Amino acid sequence: EESEVSEGVLVRDVLYACQGIDGKYVKFDKNYDGYVLLDSVKVPRATRVMVRKVCELGWLFRKVRGHVSESMDRFPAEDVGTIGQAFCAALQDELSEYYKLLAVLEAQANNPIPMVSEAGNSGNYLSLRRLAVWFAEPVVKMRLMAVLVDSCKVLRGGAMAGAIHMHAQHGDPLVQEFMRCLLRRVCSPLFEVVRSWVLEGELDDIFGEFFILGQPVKAESLWREGYRLHDGMLPSFISQSLAQRILRTGKSINFLRVCCEDQGWAVAAEEAAAAVGTTTKRYGLGYGETDALEALIAEAAKRIDKHLMDVMYKQYKFKDHCLAIKRYLLLGQGDFVQYLMDIVGPELSEPANTISSFKLAGLLESAIRSSNAQYDDADILDRLKVKMMPHGTGDRGWDVFSLEYDARVPLNTVFTESVMGRYLRIFNFLWKFRRVEHSLIGAWKTMKPNRITSNFLTKQEGSIKFQFVSTLRRCQVLWVEMNHFVTNLQYYIMFEVLEVSWANFVDEMDSARDLDDLLAAHEKYLQSIVEKSLLGERSQTLCKTLFLLFDLILQFRSHADRLYEGVHELQARTAVSALSSRGRTKTRQKQNDDTSWGGGGRKALTKLAGEFLQTIGQDLENISKEYSSTLEGFIGQLPMQQHVDLKFLVFRLDFTEFYSRLRLGK
Amino acid sequence: GRAHSADAASSLGSENPIGSYHASVQELLVIEDLLSALVGIEGQYTSIKRVRGKEGHFTFQIDSSMDLALQEMAKRIFPLCENFLLINQFVESRSQLKNGLVNHAFAAALRALLLDYQAMVAQLEHQFRLGRLSVQGFWFYCQPMMGSMHALSTVIEKAAADNLAGSAVLNLLQSQAKAMAGDHAVRSLLEKMIQCASSAYLGILERWVYEGVIDDPYGEFFIAENKLLQKESLTQDYNAKYWRQRYSLKDGVPSFLTDVAGTILTTGKYLNVMRECGHSVQVPQSESSKLTSFGSNHHYLECIKTAYNFASSELLNLIKEKYDLVGKLRSIKHYLLLDQGDFLVHFMDIARDELAKKPDDISVEKLQSLLDLALRTTAAAADPLHEGLMCCVERISLLKRLGTLKDIEVKVPAAVGDDLEDPISITGLETFSLSYKVQWPLSIVISRKALTKYQLIFRLLFHCKHVNRQLCGAWQVHQGVRALNTKGTSICRSSLLCRSMLKFINSLLHYLTFEVLEPNWHVMHARIQNAKSIDEVIQYHDFFLEKCLKECLLLLPELLKKVERLKAICLQYAAASQWLIASSISIPDPESSSIGPLGSEKSRSWRSRNRSQGLKVTADKSAAATDSLLKFEKEFNSELQSLGPILSSNSQAEPYLTHLAQWILGVGNEQ
Repeated sequence: EESEVSEGVLVRDVLYACQGIDGKYVKFDKNYDGYVLLDSVKVPRATRVMVRKVCELGWLFRKVRGHVSESMDRFPAEDVGTIGQAFCAALQDELSEYYKLLAVLEAQANNPIPMVSEAGNSGNYLSLRRLAVWFAEPVVKMRLMAVLVDSCKVLRGGAMAGAIHMHAQHGDPLVQEFMRCLLRRVCSPLFEVVRSWVLEGELDDIFGEFFILGQPVKAESLWREGYRLHDGMLPSFISQSLAQRILRTGKSINFLRVCCEDQGWAVAAEEAAAAVGTTTKRYGLGYGETDALEALIAEAAKRIDKHLMDVMYKQYKFKDHCLAIKRYLLLGQGDFVQYLMDIVGPELSEPANTISSFKLAGLLESAIRSSNAQYDDADILDRLKVKMMPHGTGDRGWDVFSLEYDARVPLNTVFTESVMGRYLRIFNFLWKFRRVEHSLIGAWKTMKPNRITSNFLTKQEGSIKFQFVSTLRRCQVLWVEMNHFVTNLQYYIMFEVLEVSWANFVDEMDSARDLDDLLAAHEKYLQSIVEKSLLGERSQTLCKTLFLLFDLILQFRSHADRLYEGVHELQARTAVSALSSRGRTKTRQKQNDDTSWGGGGRKALTKLAGEFLQTIGQDLENISKEYSSTLEGFIGQLPMQQHVDLKFLVFRLDFTEFYSRLRLGK
Repeated sequence: GRAHSADAASSLGSENPIGSYHASVQELLVIEDLLSALVGIEGQYTSIKRVRGKEGHFTFQIDSSMDLALQEMAKRIFPLCENFLLINQFVESRSQLKNGLVNHAFAAALRALLLDYQAMVAQLEHQFRLGRLSVQGFWFYCQPMMGSMHALSTVIEKAAADNLAGSAVLNLLQSQAKAMAGDHAVRSLLEKMIQCASSAYLGILERWVYEGVIDDPYGEFFIAENKLLQKESLTQDYNAKYWRQRYSLKDGVPSFLTDVAGTILTTGKYLNVMRECGHSVQVPQSESSKLTSFGSNHHYLECIKTAYNFASSELLNLIKEKYDLVGKLRSIKHYLLLDQGDFLVHFMDIARDELAKKPDDISVEKLQSLLDLALRTTAAAADPLHEGLMCCVERISLLKRLGTLKDIEVKVPAAVGDDLEDPISITGLETFSLSYKVQWPLSIVISRKALTKYQLIFRLLFHCKHVNRQLCGAWQVHQGVRALNTKGTSICRSSLLCRSMLKFINSLLHYLTFEVLEPNWHVMHARIQNAKSIDEVIQYHDFFLEKCLKECLLLLPELLKKVERLKAICLQYAAASQWLIASSISIPDPESSSIGPLGSEKSRSWRSRNRSQGLKVTADKSAAATDSLLKFEKEFNSELQSLGPILSSNSQAEPYLTHLAQWILGVGNEQ
């Protein structure tokens, strides 16, 4: 049935509708998706439109309140989180303000219009138009809230804060103010987490809303893997670099706490808090105070990182350990290395499976005792151990022997297993190189006293004499050539690679302000050594060639030894045959009898010598050929390397341009 | 009475045409409808029609059966209603996020106005309910709003038509305010709108001018940031794009800022440089320096000026004090302008063989290590800045290189330009140059371009030094035979030629270093000390380089070619002098032919050997030597003489050339 209603009744109904309640005449219409006046009510068209417009507020209110109550019902669910809660609470407060307004309006609606003439029934003071004026501001706010509810419904945590922040980029002062208040409320849990993370190292993040994720790991990988940034949760008002600093500061505290068992960070954090002032109280930080946040982070990071570096340097003696590694694993301590090589050499020539690592440990011990290494810190020496690598069939001791340095917590954050693996590779390379050098020097020792052999020379006949001279000469020349190569490579490795890298590393260590800097510096140090000493990815073929050269040199050593042994034998033999009448010591005679050449006259001796020299000369010739072709390949490959220093190595090896001219000559 | 009839009117059905009522009833009905129409709602006898073809425009129509006088009155009020609809729509659409801060703020100001308007309508309704409102009264009360709403709607139409945003809106408002200066009310209203709308814009400006940060989420600001340009590019990019194009002015500078746009740009740029250096500097702010308004008192101009002064002096301080600009410049002068020569002598000694190769065969690494050696063993080792020095070997000759540099104004006459071809055998001596590693932020001043200019000067100087050394070697050889009886041979003549060549090259070097580089450098140094901003420093430095290039003849290819030619003759002579002397005095040893010009030790022993042999030189050899000597002499002198006219003809335009002429041609006159 149709009925006419007065405006006063409509106003009351609209006020109800604006609180989401269906009135007598104004009801929620699902098809229209809004509050409308019932069709049965007979009012002018203008009034109907008016009601519909004013009731937009009711529709918006429904939406906002729906979200708030829905979220509140789910507390403390994970998909709402503390930030979602804060958002709801802030919305709830806004709604309370709104209720207050409605209450006031309700009271006004009951006030009759003040009439000049008391007589007559008057309409109510609050007309629909007046209501529209009253609602102008609440509608703007309510619309904002509805938009926020719509766009943030699916988000949580830092992402939600970020999304709300995006909506705050508005030029309307009213909106700005409203959003600022809202964001202060919404972000307060977030900033609280930041504060406690930065000053206490605590990650109070039950719902996983924070932009830093923690995961349980072993102490040694705490720094690298323990915590990471969660980009999805990083609100846009915190820049990436600031987030990184926040991450590192808290990580430093945790590192100090877990790995270094240090308590001093609390003092540093307190100092930082004191330096920044009021903003460090609980809930002191807020949205929009980026400066204060940055100042806090800067102070805290500065002090805590400094403390961390102090602990690393002073308490855990990081530098000393680096130096120790350089001295022992990178063979920087010459006398120790020399002695070690002298005493373990014979042992290492045995097949790998017969070597006892206990014995080697003993030898290492005695090498330490008898070199200047003994004056080193006991703690450092304690960490130095012998390590036998897994061996295959046919491996000699040389192939499996290595030294190891036990880093322990917290230093193993820097010296991780993979880092130690790379040190090991460098050690193996250097050890092999030292061995080659050692054996070349050994060869020199046997070749040096050639006065005796020259004496032997003079007594021989022409052809054999010539053969003898030429063989010895070839041997000497080859040795000099190899020695030139080894000496220059040695110089390069020791001075241009190890020392230069170390000097750079020390500089960077001194200027490192936090553990990340330190890690980067160490990484750079190690990387530069690996790259420059041909162990890098790109120089694998070169490295192979180098090892080939090493093998050739070792082969040469054995040939040279054989040659000189033979010469000595021959010499002794001649001496015996010449002086046999005069009589010689029995031992020498006995020895001669044992030799392969047996007895026989001078002629047989000459023949034997000829054959011997022939084979040795042939061997030397072969080695020489192979050596020079390999070396040429090596020098030819060097300039193609990426690293500039390797190019320098070329003209160190080829300083007189002997090799390049040789190549041009071909 | 009227209140009753109003109720009665509202309760009437719409089925009756309005004309059927009495005029007084009609008036009530019309007022009721007009009240709705004012807030954009159709009434019983009024309707809203879209204007075809015009987006967002509406017209109101009224029942034509109404009393004509009332109809006319209503039609007069309708424009106000139409304006309301237009503005309301604009407010709703412009409040959306994507339209930018200025539009938001403008819309907010309009919304506040509309609220006033709606309040007025409610007041009218109240009056109406009280039965005190006639159509006449209605018309009267609407008057104040009519003007302002109309003015605003015209502005809005323009803004909406072009979909303006940012500073364009501000400019539009401002120009409208000026155009409507006659109407005081409208003008003050528009000024209020500008005030509101610009506050958002000034917020962006404030952050840029005081912190060097562009906080401009909707791209409204008139400064654009090109994030692709990295500061590291300055060390390679010849055109220093980073400094000039990283931040640039866009179109749409608000008209009240056009005069200071450049200042604003540089202020923020300076602050930004400091930020990039890790110094987060903020212009100290006080209440009075808030950029809240840009009223007629030009307070904002003061603020910008203060900020600019602060930023430029701070940056200048930073670069001069912390990054030691002058020290770096001095160090560059040491090495690239050969101000400190000992390392160069040493370097030329040890790198002689390498440099004598062709540019393609030269190993730059070897040169670099030799350079390091030279630096470490000479006084340069004490200079901590020598680390930045690097070698580089170019492929083309100096003349050709000058030709390739488009922006340096080389005055190349077309004819000369063509035959700028390389000498056939160009060696490292001609193409070697030093380079210097410059770190951010010094690369702002010492840009790639500046370094290139330094290198050009270096190459000229280096080659002159080389010629000088070769001639000195020849002179030493001459000294070696002084004790011998040289009568009748061409040695005296040769000695004279050698001396005059030396004089030439020494005068040239003297001119280049003492007359050009030193005084100009000191002028620049003094100017930099007193510079007010980094742009001034850059300007002085560039001016210095430009002047040096010009005065070092590098911009006068005609003259430079002559000089190069002379140097080439000198080198040829120096190379031949050994043979000349040997063939004039004695039969040359096979060994002596390999003696380099600097092999003084050998020549000494050779001299002692020759003394006993006497002067037995075959006549034809001696004659050949004399011939070639005369040829050298003739060539050298004619080239030198031909330099005279060129110098004097050019010296009108380039006064510094008279100095050079005095030095060089003084030699010519003596002969």
